[in-house]
Amino acid sequence: MEKPVNDPANIDPYKELFGLDSPPERLQEVLTAYGDILGEIRKLRTLDLTDVHPAIVFEPTAPYRKTP
Amino acid sequence: MNGELWKQPLEMLVPAIRAGKVSPVALTETCLERIEKVDDKLDSFIHVSKHALESARAAEREIKAGNWRGPLHGIPIGVKDNYLTRDMPTTAGSVAPGLSFPLRDSAAAARLRAAGAVLIGKTRTHEFAWGNVTPPVCNPWDLTRVPSGSSGGSGAAVAAGLCVAALGSDTGGSIRMPAAACGTVGLKATFGRVSRDGVVPHSWSLDHAGPLTRTVADTALMMQVLAGYDPADPACQGQPVPDYAKALGKTVKGLTVGVCRNHFFENLQEDVESAVEQAIADLAAAGAQIIELEIPLLEYGLGAIFAIELSSSTAYHDASLLAGRVPHYQPDVRMLVEMGRLVTGPDYLKAEQYRSALMAEYRKVFESVDVVIGPTTPITAWKRGEWTVQVAGKPESVLAASWRFTYPYNLTGLPAISVPCGFDRDGLPIGLQIAGRPFDELTVLRVARAYECAHDWKDRRPPL
Repeated sequence: MEKPVNDPANIDPYKELFGLDSPPERLQEVLTAYGDILGEIRKLRTLDLTDVHPAIVFEPTAPYRKTP
Repeated sequence: MNGELWKQPLEMLVPAIRAGKVSPVALTETCLERIEKVDDKLDSFIHVSKHALESARAAEREIKAGNWRGPLHGIPIGVKDNYLTRDMPTTAGSVAPGLSFPLRDSAAAARLRAAGAVLIGKTRTHEFAWGNVTPPVCNPWDLTRVPSGSSGGSGAAVAAGLCVAALGSDTGGSIRMPAAACGTVGLKATFGRVSRDGVVPHSWSLDHAGPLTRTVADTALMMQVLAGYDPADPACQGQPVPDYAKALGKTVKGLTVGVCRNHFFENLQEDVESAVEQAIADLAAAGAQIIELEIPLLEYGLGAIFAIELSSSTAYHDASLLAGRVPHYQPDVRMLVEMGRLVTGPDYLKAEQYRSALMAEYRKVFESVDVVIGPTTPITAWKRGEWTVQVAGKPESVLAASWRFTYPYNLTGLPAISVPCGFDRDGLPIGLQIAGRPFDELTVLRVARAYECAHDWKDRRPPL
């Protein structure tokens, strides 16, 4: 009998959540290399930027741009 | 004109070519001979144009007929191998199978061609402009060292006189770092000033196109051609393009120069610190007011640029990941592209929020100063194959050290130039970074030129 796909126990976090379909030893290499960067990202997470709009702004008129 | 042609900066060649005293054909032949003679040691070009001499002959004919197109007419210019060109292949530094790039001119290549420039060849880039070493290119000041990257081919070629100027691209410092390491000038103009249309993307909101040259005046001449609105680049802005020559020949009297003491003066090699402190003293002696300041938010920048650069690069390479091409990338680039999958959506957006906050901090700083200066990099060119360097007595990875002072200006999109400011005890160039307000390249160039003219760094050439 097939296991239900929505059972969390059947979700491969790297393949399903991160889209990394690599052998375990390669995943370990990637995670190890990511360690220092994750440390910097963790630091960034500590900032309270609730009221700050992201720098990227959606511009619906972009496809209509023309040479002035 | 005194001296060998290949040693001349653009600013000296322009009047000579216009007056018919220097032939574009002779100049192009000289560069091609230099490539033939020294590029087996440097490896700065991945492709030399078969059409360069033909373009030079056409330029010469036009100029003789009285149809001088402007300062770049008949000038041999190198094009980084991540800019598309219609008559030369583009590889973006990759040999991975299944990749191909169209034979068409990027906006920058088209502008150079329309200005009459001779596109002499494609300079090497670190694969997909990721990374800071540009293998297999060597540094012309010391062949055992790297030229930095990712525009290391352009930096090495300009410094060694293989072309008069070159195009580079800068996502975290990739124009300014090789400029500093190779002793050239490198400008990352304001985000949106120079079109990136036809430049192989690395990270859409961080990528900048721009020149590497021998002098600040040369940069001004290149910018006059490269700058301007292009609807094909969604980030390009329709800001008026100033007359960049107006930045030249002015003193720094009356200008206020900011020195950000946190971040930019932490963990420097001793010789870099001395050279930059001397440059600050020189600017003060020349009449600039120096203001010391701090931007505490810079402490969080590394996580932000990694989150944006990694996730953007991985998004660009997503089809290659699915198609199984990424394992054929160089090991360091493969690692970075795979790693980008681990950056979460909230982390990416937090990084974009951080950028807004940092931009606001810089806006406050620029209420009281005209430019902010400091070292371009904390270290000079390191040995090839070395991954760790000694900085202030402590080991630091070259990946972390090399771009520490350049990436804040990719996060903020502010214009920033690297100009030579001396040599270390091993005879390796040191770069001074000058950053300005958005779209105020004029003031950046003014300070850089005033500093440059007060020193002879620009007249020195590597021993090749």
